[in-house]
Amino acid sequence: MKTPELSEIGNMLEKQGYISNGSIAMSIFLAMQLEKPLLIEGPAGVGKTEIAKVMAKALDTNLIRLQCYEGLDSTHALYEWNYQHQLLFLKMQEASGHDPKMLEETIFSDRFLLKRPVLQAISQKRKPVLLIDEIDRADEEFESFLLEVLSDWQVTIPEIGTIKAAQKPQIILTGNRTRELSEALRRRCLYLWIDYPDFEKELAIVKAKVPEIDARLGEQICTFMKELRQLKLEKTPGISETIDWARALAGMHLGHLDREVVENTLGVVLKDWQDMRHTQDALSELLEKTGVTSRIG
Amino acid sequence: MKTPLIRHQTEISAHVVLLCRYLRKEGYSLGVAEEADAMKALERLPIDKEQNFVMALKAVLAKNSHQYLNFDGQYDEFKRQLAKASDSKIKETPKKKDKKSKAEREQARFDALKNWLNLNPSEEEKQVASYSDMEVLGKKHFSDLSEDEIKLMMRLLKILARKVAHRKSRLRKISKRARQLDLRHTVRGSMRSGGSLHNLVYSERKNKKLKLVLLCDVSQSMDLYSRFLVHMIYAFQNVYDQLETFVFSTALHRVTSILENNGLDKAFDIISDRVPDWSGGTTIGGCLQDFVDDFGYGMLDKKTIVLVMSDGWDTGGPETIENAMKTIYKKSKKVIWLNPLAGSPGFAPDTMGMKTALPYIDALVSAHNLESLRQVLHQLRQRRNISKRIAL
Repeated sequence: MKTPELSEIGNMLEKQGYISNGSIAMSIFLAMQLEKPLLIEGPAGVGKTEIAKVMAKALDTNLIRLQCYEGLDSTHALYEWNYQHQLLFLKMQEASGHDPKMLEETIFSDRFLLKRPVLQAISQKRKPVLLIDEIDRADEEFESFLLEVLSDWQVTIPEIGTIKAAQKPQIILTGNRTRELSEALRRRCLYLWIDYPDFEKELAIVKAKVPEIDARLGEQICTFMKELRQLKLEKTPGISETIDWARALAGMHLGHLDREVVENTLGVVLKDWQDMRHTQDALSELLEKTGVTSRIG
Repeated sequence: MKTPLIRHQTEISAHVVLLCRYLRKEGYSLGVAEEADAMKALERLPIDKEQNFVMALKAVLAKNSHQYLNFDGQYDEFKRQLAKASDSKIKETPKKKDKKSKAEREQARFDALKNWLNLNPSEEEKQVASYSDMEVLGKKHFSDLSEDEIKLMMRLLKILARKVAHRKSRLRKISKRARQLDLRHTVRGSMRSGGSLHNLVYSERKNKKLKLVLLCDVSQSMDLYSRFLVHMIYAFQNVYDQLETFVFSTALHRVTSILENNGLDKAFDIISDRVPDWSGGTTIGGCLQDFVDDFGYGMLDKKTIVLVMSDGWDTGGPETIENAMKTIYKKSKKVIWLNPLAGSPGFAPDTMGMKTALPYIDALVSAHNLESLRQVLHQLRQRRNISKRIAL
């Protein structure tokens, strides 16, 4: 697979509907050039996971996703023997009196091996994108285990042997900073911090994702969101909320915002009752800043 | 005079090495591998714009959000200092160390930069090995911290707190992690399939829940520290399962719910609004007595550690303190008293309040820098020293 030039990356992402900026394109470019994992951090809903998805699409390759959670261990990440399947197979063969040695070889073969994401990524022929989502939710032990795999690119299964990566997969790690990641992991990755977008970028994103939206409505939504993020909310809404909201309003065939609409659809944007109350208190001011004239007066 | 300048400019690699050295001083942990990565990145890049150059370096060298967001500023600072330093380096070489007057006028930072411009590498290597943000901050007094440093410190504190908070109980629970086989549950599960083992069940030790009660003095004399202490409470908030927080000066206020439901800055504002005597005088004894009377029986038990943060300046009588502290001591797992003054060299617990409370305190710890807070966390883990225990 040929790695694209820096100048092509922005376009490549845009074709898939992802609006990037210089530093995002640069990080992706370098991650591909240096064949290093890319660690992406940032607030919720700014499109961290999306990068991996878009990259896989743009490179026309598989996306393999490993969602991390507390208690995730190597059997869920690497491989597992399909134990139940093996037992059933043995029971079925018992009657026919096969050679036990051959049986053993059969039950420890590819057929009974459940490939989990990391092993899957290693055994692909075409260089895949491996997304390790929310790595900070996994335990520290898992992080160290991951380091081992990331450095060697091979997995040893005692019954089968060592499987070496045919192609180093492109790894994207994302995190929400619920836990501080270890220095060792950070050092092996390139780092990218994505923040909430500025007005222009957000508008471009909305236009790309919701092409049917009215131009004025789009602008109003983005201004409103920008002001909304200035309020110190518990859960500051991200780009995904903006897009949801734009979709909802565009679906209602609205041309502009007004107070009633905002009040009724606030639940699309805010997911916390305290934020809701807080925003409703500050709504008049917000709408004024957005440039919405209320119908009532 | 021009030759060294030109050499600097033509050798990008030399500059990258210098930049890495500079960033190490700023708290980055960069090894040779990172330097090599930076070079490789630059090699493959069309460097027609300086912006690209900076962005590429940022992607490779920054390793956390703090570094990522501040990188541009640090790069500019580096460039500025490099221009200055390479000038003065040239001037300095022929005359050796005698000409110091010019350097003295420069900032301390600039001196540092010049130092490592002339540094021999083996010495530097040693520094890299031991250098980290944490060590710099560890010994710095809280009142000297900048806003950024406080943020960094809060992160460190959170890590520390989390490390300490999770104690394991002897009780076990079923676990997804393959740690130890839970034979009882495994065998029981196998009954369904007529005794053949299909699913293995594992177990791990349960987390022991530690309860924490914080009593925080917010009177005038504690003003410098109370803001920091609130930060600390926040670090604890997400780590301990059961945390009750009170602030007091002349009256006791329960602020647990305010802290739980609001962000740090907002909570701080609300509390200072709601507590009318914020930064006023103190009646420790009365407040502690109020705590014992109103909340003591529900909140204090042998799983609870009580943290009192105060300097012990009291305008009330000593008997009330004694009574209150006695009850708290008897009913709790441990009592830790944080006194920011204890960090100063000539400290002796001789304020009236401190003196009376002292027998009923398991540990008196200073709370003026991160180092001492680490001690606090250490204390949280330890059992009460029974040999010291007084007859009650």
